[in-house]
Amino acid sequence: MPSFADDTQEEESGEISEFIRGFGRFGYVADRALATAVYLLVRLPKPLLIEGHAGVGKTEVAKALASYLKTELIRLQCYEGLDAHSALYEWNYQKQLLAIRVREKSDKPVEELERHIFGDDFLLKRPLLRSILCESSSPVLLIDEIDRADEAFEAFLLEILSEFQVTIPELGTVQAKRIPHVILTSNSTRELSDALKRRCLYHWIEYPSLEKETEIVRTRLPEFDYELAFRVVRFMQLVRRMSLSKPPGIAETLDLSQALMLLRRKQFDPETAEQVLGCVLKSADDLAKIRREGVGNLLLRAGP
Amino acid sequence: MRMSRGLEPIRSVVEFCRFVRANGLDSGIRATIDSVRAVRIVDQVGLDDSRHALRAVLSASKRDWDLFDQLFDAFWFGRRLEKPVRRIAPGNSAVSARNKQGIYLGVGNLASKEPGATKEERKVVTGASAVDRLRKVDFSRVPQDDLAELGRLSERLLRRMSLRLSRRFRLTSLRGRIDLRRTIRAGAARGGEMMELRHKSRKKQAVKLVILLDVSDSMNPYSVFLFRFAYVLGRHFDQLSCFVFSTRLVNVSDALKARSLPDALRALSTITACWSGGTRIGGALGEFNRSFGRRMRSTETSVLILSDGWDADEPGSLIGELRILKQHVKKLIWLNPLLGLDEYEPVTRSMSAALPYIDVFAPAHNLQSLLELERHV
Repeated sequence: MPSFADDTQEEESGEISEFIRGFGRFGYVADRALATAVYLLVRLPKPLLIEGHAGVGKTEVAKALASYLKTELIRLQCYEGLDAHSALYEWNYQKQLLAIRVREKSDKPVEELERHIFGDDFLLKRPLLRSILCESSSPVLLIDEIDRADEAFEAFLLEILSEFQVTIPELGTVQAKRIPHVILTSNSTRELSDALKRRCLYHWIEYPSLEKETEIVRTRLPEFDYELAFRVVRFMQLVRRMSLSKPPGIAETLDLSQALMLLRRKQFDPETAEQVLGCVLKSADDLAKIRREGVGNLLLRAGP
Repeated sequence: MRMSRGLEPIRSVVEFCRFVRANGLDSGIRATIDSVRAVRIVDQVGLDDSRHALRAVLSASKRDWDLFDQLFDAFWFGRRLEKPVRRIAPGNSAVSARNKQGIYLGVGNLASKEPGATKEERKVVTGASAVDRLRKVDFSRVPQDDLAELGRLSERLLRRMSLRLSRRFRLTSLRGRIDLRRTIRAGAARGGEMMELRHKSRKKQAVKLVILLDVSDSMNPYSVFLFRFAYVLGRHFDQLSCFVFSTRLVNVSDALKARSLPDALRALSTITACWSGGTRIGGALGEFNRSFGRRMRSTETSVLILSDGWDADEPGSLIGELRILKQHVKKLIWLNPLLGLDEYEPVTRSMSAALPYIDVFAPAHNLQSLLELERHV
């Protein structure tokens, strides 16, 4: 394996560890692979596409990165039918119409009115434009669930991501002063276009190991009993191994832990489990399946 | 291992990029440049960091991600690849001996070995009534002389049908939310007075179609024609995926993209090795649900199953998988060639168990019945 290291640059390697520690401070347990990818995202710089099952903490990466870099997090939630206007900018038409009516009687020149209604006050800045206009420091731009948007939007996004420049006819061209750190997430419900994938770094987040998940629960809920947390996590790992239609993610583990804390349970017995099963499984089929398996059996296998 | 800065490390990273490209990762020159930069940036001390860095740069999907470690070890540590992972381009390798009886070559001898053809059906057809008659002749009983004519006819008629279908779906409805941007623009012509409102509505999505074609032994007389049917539909549906199954499931969507039907059939015979065996419909549907389901099932998707319903499995698994499928798609259509027979009743255990989950259950034994699909999609 080659190394580009000079001895003088030795401290560089510490930066990845620094990311891991920094993320930890904000409650995100990152492994070295993820930290490396995020480090590259900042240094190359290149957008990072994160894929993984629902609830493994894809979105959280962006939040943790923003906190760690002490910068703004701008989020664009994708949905079916999302178009360029709702992602980039739109004029506030209602307000413009009112402004025109209000000034109809005034004798000011038309040009001034035009300048007025196409001013900053009338511009609705949507997430993409906001990320480009950021002046102080590079914001973190989170494009969440890109697979929900349609392909036309993906193509539009490609253009923005390569130039970070927007032309608004009435105002002129705006170029980003600070290139945003872009994180895209996808639940892989749809194959993304090759062009987009090629432009991005890629990271796949797997369900966490037993150790890692326990650490996550401890980091997020420090006051939660350690023994109980370990048992909850082992239970969740077993549930995940059953072939369910919607396997629970880490979010569900945390929900379950919090539920136990709220209910002030000191142990995780079948009766309690039955009560809080709704935190874990969100479909009737899955609930039926786990009841057939027997919650008690699972708990037994999860150990003392 | 440490090396000093210089040309060598760059060259080996470039070599590595070429290596992964040759082994199935779709990475371009940009990725190579980024790889070199990435390895510089992580400024490798521990091996793992450059592994992570190169993986982030060079992979673009879960599949790449899983493959990467193996390639990395093979290149840097000389481990042997577990199996050749080179992607096979459809259509360039020779037809394997195993596929000799496959659909592709089956076309010629299909009718001749069919004893059931009655005298009347064997008559050579000519003239205007020929079209009408050919539309109705059962695929399993096509006289040898009519094969070519039926092929031409079906291509023409099916093409016309799928064109109509794909056009129909591009129509957009007229009313929707008021589009202020365009309303104001239109108002400019009347001195800013907005006389008429402009509307916008969500563009109607082209319907997605997934075809699951049974190619087991019992379907043999029909599968050639049904594949032709899938091919013609594929020409006009942007989003058509096609799978063939007998005991296992194979994605043949790429084969449908071939320029001509013979090309498509040739491509098909190189990528499938499961022609004409027993049937495990439940298993095949399960495989579809697990491997492709999340990507292909959606509320705009219609799933078309072409099968005679003879299943070696217990009906239990079929029902389970059908139920899952049914929940996620717009319409579940099952075309069964046997339904064309007068005496046929869907009494095989699998078929009768499946009926409650099917939106449309229709025959698929002749051209006419396939053309009727237009009504259902």
